[in-house]
Amino acid sequence: MTLEPLISALQILIFPGAFFLFCLAFFYEWIDRKFAARVQNRYGPLFTGPSGILQPIADFFKLLSKEDIVPLAVDKLLFTLTPILYSALPLATLFTIPILSQTGIMTFEGDLILVMFVFTLITITVFLAGYGSMSRFSIIGGVRATLQMLGYEIPMGLAMVGPAIAAGSLSISAIVQWQWTRWSWMVWLQPLGFIIFVICMLAELELVPFDIPEAETEIVAGWRTEFSGRKLALLRLGKDFELVLASALVASLYLGGAQPIWSVPSVIAFPITFLLKTVCVVLLFSLLRAVFARFRIDQMVSGMWKYLVPLAILQIILIQLGIGR
Amino acid sequence: MQDGLPYILPIIFTLSIVIMLLIYWFGGKTAAKGSLKTTHGKKATYACGEDFPVEEVRVDLERFFVFAVYFLIFDVLAFILATSFYTTGLIPIAYSLIVLAAVAALLLARGARK
Repeated sequence: MTLEPLISALQILIFPGAFFLFCLAFFYEWIDRKFAARVQNRYGPLFTGPSGILQPIADFFKLLSKEDIVPLAVDKLLFTLTPILYSALPLATLFTIPILSQTGIMTFEGDLILVMFVFTLITITVFLAGYGSMSRFSIIGGVRATLQMLGYEIPMGLAMVGPAIAAGSLSISAIVQWQWTRWSWMVWLQPLGFIIFVICMLAELELVPFDIPEAETEIVAGWRTEFSGRKLALLRLGKDFELVLASALVASLYLGGAQPIWSVPSVIAFPITFLLKTVCVVLLFSLLRAVFARFRIDQMVSGMWKYLVPLAILQIILIQLGIGR
Repeated sequence: MQDGLPYILPIIFTLSIVIMLLIYWFGGKTAAKGSLKTTHGKKATYACGEDFPVEEVRVDLERFFVFAVYFLIFDVLAFILATSFYTTGLIPIAYSLIVLAAVAALLLARGARK
């Protein structure tokens, strides 16, 4: 009995916890960069480690050792706090996802609402980062990020609620267990919701069809123009955690989560299944980002309201009629 | 992990903020310090080489406000739909149709104003 706090601490700090998530974040950034590069007929990361697998870690430490330049005009408090918040929020939220067993480390009834709340909070952090930078490129980027959030937030919430209504619970672990007992993934039951959710996650991650807040050809680097050194390292780390969070959410809500595909649930089977499914989702994200071109901000917002919101409501109505549950 | 529930949420949020603060501190220790002599250009915000006064940078909050109000209304509607899984059937369907009509009205109103 005395071992229990120790095991909890190990779980939080090492295995399905912080250390494992750090490795996962760097690994998925490598997969994303390499796959997108190969699709576009480039090489991608090549020299650090076998086929460049250590490149994201090398980039991270290189940025940490760079000089941290703070422009005179910035709001110092916001400028310092926002990179820390931007990387800490997705890391903390990742603990709600079940990885090692059927329940996550931080599982409670209603953690789906917490995830939605954190997604909104991340966008507000982005706006504050742009606002505190006092540069016109940063402010345009921050305003664009917020405008984009006004477009995708509603369909994303509705697409996350679809599985919750079917499973009768607002907890991610309960949704995963429901898919296990029913032996059917949510993709087959609610394909419309899956498509909407993937599109909204692309917008949340600011990947290419929706990379309007950091469009390099228009506004330098968008809301992160003024950041350098350790602050930029933390921003990039936060982006990687967001990628892990988004792929883990798609896998958990719509692809059966960490439940093994074969019928022997053992300690090794859960993380391996989780890794396989999330890697597939990351590959889907990078394929979409390599294939598409950027939308304009008005096209994006009006397209979201004209097509995605009615389709998401249609999906909810279908679920209420008994189709897909 | 269900029994330790009241403590686990603040513990994990504090832990991740502490980890990021450690990385930030470590970055401050190891980073290059740069030369003591700083020019005006180094500490200026990026502006493609032009001189641009800081005061002219401002967010257009008035145009933003309309969007924010729309968003607030629809977010509340979405959350009411989110908690509708105890009463399945006709009432949530009617509610969803009302939301759909509201979206259509919003789009038509925007089209008419143009």
